[in-house]
Amino acid sequence: MRPDEILDLHSARKCVECGRCTYACPAAQIGGDFSPRSIIEHIENTGEVPRNKDLWLCMTCMQCTEICQFGVGFHEVVREIRPELSKVLPPEENHGGVPELMERLSAMRGIRPNKQQWILEDLRVDDSSDTMLFVGCTPYYDVIFRYLRQDLLEIPRSSVRLLNAMGIEPKVLADERCCGHDAYWLGDAELFEKLARLNVEAIEKAKVSQVVAFCPECYTTLKYRYPEVVGKLGFEVRSLTQMIGEAVDEGGLWLDPSGEDLTYHDPCRLGRHAGIYSEPRKVLSSFANLKEMPRSAQLGACCGNSSWVNCSPMTRLWQLGRLREAAETGASKMITACPKCLIHFTCAQSENIQLIERSKMPVTDLHVLAASRLKKG
Amino acid sequence: MDSEPLAQKLDQVQQPPLTEEAGQPNIVAFCCNWCAYAGADLAGVNRRQYAPNLRIIRVMCSGRVTPGMILQAFVSGAEGVMVLGCHPGDCHYRVGNKYAEQRVQQLHELLELAGVDPSRLLLQWISAAEGELFGRTVDSFVAHIRKLGRLEAGK
Repeated sequence: MRPDEILDLHSARKCVECGRCTYACPAAQIGGDFSPRSIIEHIENTGEVPRNKDLWLCMTCMQCTEICQFGVGFHEVVREIRPELSKVLPPEENHGGVPELMERLSAMRGIRPNKQQWILEDLRVDDSSDTMLFVGCTPYYDVIFRYLRQDLLEIPRSSVRLLNAMGIEPKVLADERCCGHDAYWLGDAELFEKLARLNVEAIEKAKVSQVVAFCPECYTTLKYRYPEVVGKLGFEVRSLTQMIGEAVDEGGLWLDPSGEDLTYHDPCRLGRHAGIYSEPRKVLSSFANLKEMPRSAQLGACCGNSSWVNCSPMTRLWQLGRLREAAETGASKMITACPKCLIHFTCAQSENIQLIERSKMPVTDLHVLAASRLKKG
Repeated sequence: MDSEPLAQKLDQVQQPPLTEEAGQPNIVAFCCNWCAYAGADLAGVNRRQYAPNLRIIRVMCSGRVTPGMILQAFVSGAEGVMVLGCHPGDCHYRVGNKYAEQRVQQLHELLELAGVDPSRLLLQWISAAEGELFGRTVDSFVAHIRKLGRLEAGK
């Protein structure tokens, strides 16, 4: 697609260059030469994609689009110009490119993934179930990031426990693949399409009517991005966070009160991308006191990294700033609902940055914490 | 073309293209400069015949081989990957092969999750004096990968 067509498609012609987007943008604050406003301006003036490496700093967290009064889809513009940019200035892969290569490996049709070792005996899964749990990449991350956190597999385990408590025994597919979220937002349409087709094929063969995802990235990708490639889906996609929020609200799920003070970090995919703000708060306030950070809900700060690219001391400073904000609320834990937010914050805490006070704020996954408040037995 | 380094040109002359006819399976072997590569050299000097499926990539130390490099080999169409280094205690850089061992263990776990048989990635210690062991390792690895069949890359 031509750069000026991209502007038309995402109503970027309505931009009045007020600069609210750049003011709100975490990437612009992290440093580097990134500004949503000047990208639009550059394309309008020259008709070309800016040759700017800092375009990979964008987390596509949607803060710019959220704050824009004229409905410009900045994050979509960034995504659409990335394929062009990656030809001349590819992104800097972090972690040796391993997460991205695992994504590529799982896109090979001949390979049948086998990600079920995490299922423990106390978890009730049922192969004839009408509901499927989409596990995503968390088992991979458990291996890659075990040196940071040893409890990542507790997230899918807790998800099954919560579903069990709601009377659902989910099906877990052995051969689901990576959802393709990172490929989509890094502009690799070919890889994304391959993964989307393989996953939809596998899910449709499993004959389930609803797919539940605990990872906000899997949820938004399956729900909003897969139809762009494969058309209407033959199943419903639901967010586990939303489901437990509704169940708590309607009395279908009871969580044992703990009385502790918690603060909630909105993952961008769950919040601004999917509009799920109230349900996670309902879950947390049903058993604890929720203390809001200044930047929360629609204005929630991003976790600082996306798609495993362009991690730097500056993004870590941003993350430590967010952790400090969480500590200032007086809460004893910061809760998030996204495995990636969890990994990024834990990484920032383990990093030895000189001159900056290290944060000891514990970060926990919402599903793990909620499952630990379930009545035993 | 003239700006291409000589070594790269030689590579192109010496190595057949990676096609079906050139003999499946495609194997990538990362050999450390001080032990395994010298071992491969010795195998050659001794005229020890071994399977021709190998693409040797010389690295200064088996500890140089990152998980990303190994995964990249699989993604680019290798059916098997070998990491060959010095025996424990013999590493030219003291502990490089220990890192290699840790990484290969981690990758075995990742490959298992992704549905790739972990035995497609082999870690073996070969000293500069073990030309015969090099030949035997290659022969048995190629036979093993043949038995496992194609990885069906990119299909």
